[in-house]
Amino acid sequence: MKIEGTETLHAPRDRVWALLDDPQALASCTPGMQELRPTGPDEFEAVLSIGIAAVRGTYKGKLRITERTPPERYAVQVEGSSGAGFVRAVGVLELEDQGAQTGVRWSGEVQVGGALTLGSRMIPGIARMLAGQFFQCLDRKLQEGSA
Amino acid sequence: MKPPVFDYQDPASVEEALELLARHGAAAKVLAGGQSLMPLLNLRLARPEVVVDINRIDALDYLTEESGWLRVGARVRQRRLEREAEVRRMVPLLTEAVRFVGHPQIRNRGTVCGSLAHADPAAELPAVAVAVGARLVARSRSGVREIPAEEFFTGPLTTALRPDELLAEARFPCTGPDWGWAFLEVSNRHGDYALCAVAAGVRAGDGRIQDARLAYAGAGPVPVRLREAEAALVEHSDLEEGIRAASAEARRVLQPDGDLHASSEFRRHLAAVLTARTVRLAWTRARTRSGGAHA
Ligand SMILES: Cc1cc2nc3c(=O)[nH]c(=O)nc-3n(C[C@H](O)[C@H](O)[C@H](O)COP(=O)(O)OP(=O)(O)OC[C@H]3O[C@@H](n4cnc5c(N)ncnc54)[C@H](O)[C@@H]3O)c2cc1C
Repeated sequence: MKIEGTETLHAPRDRVWALLDDPQALASCTPGMQELRPTGPDEFEAVLSIGIAAVRGTYKGKLRITERTPPERYAVQVEGSSGAGFVRAVGVLELEDQGAQTGVRWSGEVQVGGALTLGSRMIPGIARMLAGQFFQCLDRKLQEGSA
Repeated sequence: MKPPVFDYQDPASVEEALELLARHGAAAKVLAGGQSLMPLLNLRLARPEVVVDINRIDALDYLTEESGWLRVGARVRQRRLEREAEVRRMVPLLTEAVRFVGHPQIRNRGTVCGSLAHADPAAELPAVAVAVGARLVARSRSGVREIPAEEFFTGPLTTALRPDELLAEARFPCTGPDWGWAFLEVSNRHGDYALCAVAAGVRAGDGRIQDARLAYAGAGPVPVRLREAEAALVEHSDLEEGIRAASAEARRVLQPDGDLHASSEFRRHLAAVLTARTVRLAWTRARTRSGGAHA
């Protein structure tokens, strides 16, 4: 399942990049992220607890930064599993310099397996909702940082 | 599969239920009809520590009219909407839509409020709530608040309810006299969730549409009302022209995700086609009603 979207962050591109390049800042904005431990260069072990209404799960997984082209492009790969199934996702962020603000074009490819496939028709909508929360949080951090 | 271990509570009063929800917060889950929660538990997609069964709370089992509103308590089964003639008179759109919800066995157990709280983006009753402007009554130990349907659904399976809140009641405004309503959907098999569903209401007067409601399910992350499409119906004095404009608007604005069952383009096509069909049907009913006949 492919999903994509655009967002505007209210800070210049170099500041957005600096934030994205800081795994802990990234982790603190990722909905449900409970733990992010580096295991190697650009590799992390993550514990994610995602609750969408009744559907709740704690996912243990790996996060890998697969591409980093400052200050323009950033790609991550995530793999996680829980008792209920597995999730695999690749995400790409592209940053566009717009002066005082930055345009973000993002896209993701999500695969689910196990019992989670039953909810597959809702995955794009849920992914988009979580992405929205992620960017809102980044934007808040950027604005706090400039204040 | 079997559910994970959880603590089971079946309070006999609303106060006790609210107390449990206040104490356990996000670790607790309300059990109403169980038609969505039990499968999720069995698949271990849901892992609440405490299940708060509200089936013993008789005080939540009411379906009454009060000052122009139909009030539906949290223990009212979906089946009652089709059985009681009064519901058709007060909120005909509920009667029209509920027969598309699963199968009779499911509606015998599944509750109206449970379907709203579960907030499946393809579910029928949430779309009805948005179309008619229902209000959802959330109760917690700290008080009561009424949430307009359009603010209640915030994402797939996600609502404005806080973990300590019980959806105690849904309130549906009774239809006005010159209104006609229709609900249609397309699904792979009867009883499946809709690939796309449309709820339409029109008020007839002077031989044309004076006011309109259009809401969609299965066409995005939450059920939506399309005010632009409603406006198109009111602006055109010619019914078919209005329908064409409204359908085009639905196709333009809605951005459903594609999945295994239907592509995004096919869903938009369904939205446009169903817009036309429901509006024609609602119009016929509005005219019969304003002529005094039962719609
Ligand atoms: C085979 C099958 C087919 C189905 N097809 C359809 C369909 O076509 N269309 C459709 O709309 N539905 C369909 N359903 C779902 C059915 O309508 C459910 O009954 C409904 O979605 C949930 O209602 P419930 O009372 O069973 O809630 P439950 O399963 O008990 O609960 C569902 C969720 O809502 C929460 N909840 C329930 N009541 C409250 C409350 N009062 N306050 C706060 N939270 C609450 C629960 O904690 C849980 O998270 C189908 C179900 C099955 C098994």
